[in-house]
Amino acid sequence: MSIQETQVRQALEILGEGTRLDILGENADLLRYAESEITAQHSERRLRVRARINRDGRSVAGSLETLDANAVRGLADRLHSALSDLPAGPEAEAEPDADHSAPTPRIEVAASVLESDPAVRHRWFSTVRDGLGPAVKLGGAIRYDVLDRVVADSTGLFRAETLTKASIQAIAKQDGRSASVKLMHRDADRIPVDEIPGRLRDALRPLPTVEAHHGACRVLLKPQAANALIATYGYAVLGANAYATGRSAVSGRLGQKVAAELVNLSDDGCDPDGLPSGFDAEGNVRRRAPLLENGVLVGVVSDRRRAELTGGVPTGHAVPDGWRFGGDPVPSHLLLEAGESTDDELLAECGSGLVVNRLDYLRVLHPKETLVTGTTRDATYWAEDGELVGWHPQLRFTFRMEDVMNAIIGVGAQRERCDQTFMESVVVPSLLIDAGPLVLP
Amino acid sequence: VVLGLLPNDVQYGDIRVVRRTHEQVLVELDGPGEVNYDDSLGLGLRVLIGGRWGFAATHRLDPQGLDAVVSQAVGQARAAGGGGHVVLGAPVTTRDSWVSPLEVDPFAVALSTKLDLLSAAVKEASTAGPLVQQIEASMDFYRDEKVFANTEGALIEQTLTESGGGLMVNAGDGNDVQRRSFPQGVPRQIRGQRGDFALAGFEHVLSLGLVENAAKVAAEAVALLTAPQCPDEVTTLIAGGNQLAMVLHECAGHPMEADRALGTEASLAGGTYATPERRGTFRWGTPIVSAYADATIPGALGSFKYDDEGVPAQRTQLVKDGIFTGYMTSREFAGALGLESTGQARADGWQRLPLVRMTNICLEPGESSLEEMIAGTKRGILVDTNRGFSIDDQRMSFRFQTELGWEIRDGKVGRLLKNCTYQSDTPTFWGSLDALGGPDEWKVHGVPSCNKGEPLQVAHLGHGTVPGRFQNVQVGR
Repeated sequence: MSIQETQVRQALEILGEGTRLDILGENADLLRYAESEITAQHSERRLRVRARINRDGRSVAGSLETLDANAVRGLADRLHSALSDLPAGPEAEAEPDADHSAPTPRIEVAASVLESDPAVRHRWFSTVRDGLGPAVKLGGAIRYDVLDRVVADSTGLFRAETLTKASIQAIAKQDGRSASVKLMHRDADRIPVDEIPGRLRDALRPLPTVEAHHGACRVLLKPQAANALIATYGYAVLGANAYATGRSAVSGRLGQKVAAELVNLSDDGCDPDGLPSGFDAEGNVRRRAPLLENGVLVGVVSDRRRAELTGGVPTGHAVPDGWRFGGDPVPSHLLLEAGESTDDELLAECGSGLVVNRLDYLRVLHPKETLVTGTTRDATYWAEDGELVGWHPQLRFTFRMEDVMNAIIGVGAQRERCDQTFMESVVVPSLLIDAGPLVLP
Repeated sequence: VVLGLLPNDVQYGDIRVVRRTHEQVLVELDGPGEVNYDDSLGLGLRVLIGGRWGFAATHRLDPQGLDAVVSQAVGQARAAGGGGHVVLGAPVTTRDSWVSPLEVDPFAVALSTKLDLLSAAVKEASTAGPLVQQIEASMDFYRDEKVFANTEGALIEQTLTESGGGLMVNAGDGNDVQRRSFPQGVPRQIRGQRGDFALAGFEHVLSLGLVENAAKVAAEAVALLTAPQCPDEVTTLIAGGNQLAMVLHECAGHPMEADRALGTEASLAGGTYATPERRGTFRWGTPIVSAYADATIPGALGSFKYDDEGVPAQRTQLVKDGIFTGYMTSREFAGALGLESTGQARADGWQRLPLVRMTNICLEPGESSLEEMIAGTKRGILVDTNRGFSIDDQRMSFRFQTELGWEIRDGKVGRLLKNCTYQSDTPTFWGSLDALGGPDEWKVHGVPSCNKGEPLQVAHLGHGTVPGRFQNVQVGR
């Protein structure tokens, strides 16, 4: 842990009552490659100290790259001055206090990432490149992250954890076609790098290119594609503030069916199948939050401000100050329960339809209607009678996520650990979508 | 000091020490306001050994931190084992300092002045009635104090001050939620960092007219709730300059960044249709359209005097008379294409490696006007203010959504429409352009939120645009 508790306590004392500190010590090491050549290697170290002071309904915030006492005093002077300039706010709504007694969940720290060595990343790169052979061009990145986190406040809360993460993205290109694999784990030694060339070669299978099909058909979303759907759906509709203010498509529908019966979705920051972390940006312990059970909406995720929607206890989904995806609580560690079908069985059930490996640039057009648009990418196939028969041209889908969630007729047995820029982890299997909501243009 | 610590096998090295200061003031409906101050100081070191790059960055500027950053950058580069070949072109040896012009230092303006202005805007917006659910008025100020030095002898100091502000109103009636933004839309949820930005002082925020336009903007948000849906049809589309800024960004800006053309973004945002063999021949649009990147436009958000490799700011033609003609480059990617750098290497702070980035991507104005375009259209749609978009990994197939839309019937603007989207692909869309607004309508829109790279970098840039008219475009919900 690169963050000293004594320095944190000192900073809290300088900043005064009503202060919360959210501190990140970031260590990132990255190897990037394109066209089978190494293009960049990074090693980035930074300390981000975010302070927020809430007093008498007024709120100010600031950030620094140091816990040096003089620098903290400088920030404190500015924040205290700003507090005195702000008009008095309305009476603050009652929020539950930080639960100091709840123990901080213990997250396993991986020595394989802590002892990061550029040579290991080069070995990974060589393994994948050489395994693909010279006819296939490899692009992507290998990244190791060590994140020291502390959330502490002037009421005495102090939570600390170290999170390790290793990830590899490999995009293989051959003859104008591409396929991708992305694997990640808190422990680099648990990533099966040796399997990646085989998976990519399999995805680059030498099938003919078929003419674009049009209209509605069944669509098999492989885990990377299902990741985009489930993450975007969760982000758009399953946060407590969106629910409470009526901006969510499922507002007012707790206890009602909002998705197909096969859908069981939860958020659990401590589940090792995802990328676990123990507490959120307010220091709330992450708790398992059931969201959809047999397609019925049973919960949302909350922070302290919206804890009343989750039994008065925040689920541990407060986002950091200044987060570029908003200030409302949103899911962070989604897990979609596996089904019983193998991918071959899902393909057989798909019959004649589209198989999508990746949904890219999925963007919300209308949150209340869950209307989104995005494109397929990196290996889109056409299937006939349950067999892959050809590469299908990349295409754009515009659809209502709620319609797709209600049209899920098959759930794979094998889940993959994925991530998103706006979500720490998403664990999903393949999903078979019935003909209807996904229309090929 | 740091460059002096580099070992002899370093072929090239450069260092950037950057202090970034950011102030955000934000007022919401029924709230007292919020203030945020960010201060970040650190350095990034880049070295080339055996034709391989190593980059390290640290917030620790003490001797141990400096030793560590050298060791990490050199270690990264050596780990690749040599065998690389990087052509950097002509050496950069400039020694200079530059401060971006401004009239009123935004960091010296009293907080109460900022709060008063934003509160007045919120108060005006709240007059639109009870269906207004959320109002957010904000202003943001950035100052980057940068020192760049390299092993070729360059030493450049630059101070850039940026100012911006905006307003967002959400209205809802239980069934629908509609958003209006002013002066321009931001397709994301982040608090603050909205509106129009410029390389300028507080005077830019005063010029935006936030208070004067707030009531109208909020009334539009409410009116959208009961407006008819945009019809599904193929029709004539007239896009305001504000809206065309983002289309230009996605259709010409990103695709014509040379690193993308050479494959280094393949694992992230993707590739591009603008491949090297198409340069000079690919028909991007009709002959009336030309586009360029220009980092020398006074006051534009993407302007500077030197990029983050010390290369002078310049103007680069990207599209000439409808033909794709040029790339934005850094020294490395220019060298790979046999060119000299166009001065577009930019990093998001000290902790990130410079990437090829847009500066100010501009359309050359045409000879028409918005008024003439509307008058000359029998049936069509007028759209403005971006709400969201998606584009494929080759920057071809896209779909944009706008906050505002209006019917055009027999040369006149008709009913307000909601949820307008339009979709096309890049050469088809720009190939259907038949009119562009003239020089009087040309305006630079400052966008502080362009994302690229891994780790993610956010760039501040501008788009100089005019309204345009496009034929046979698929519009709809």
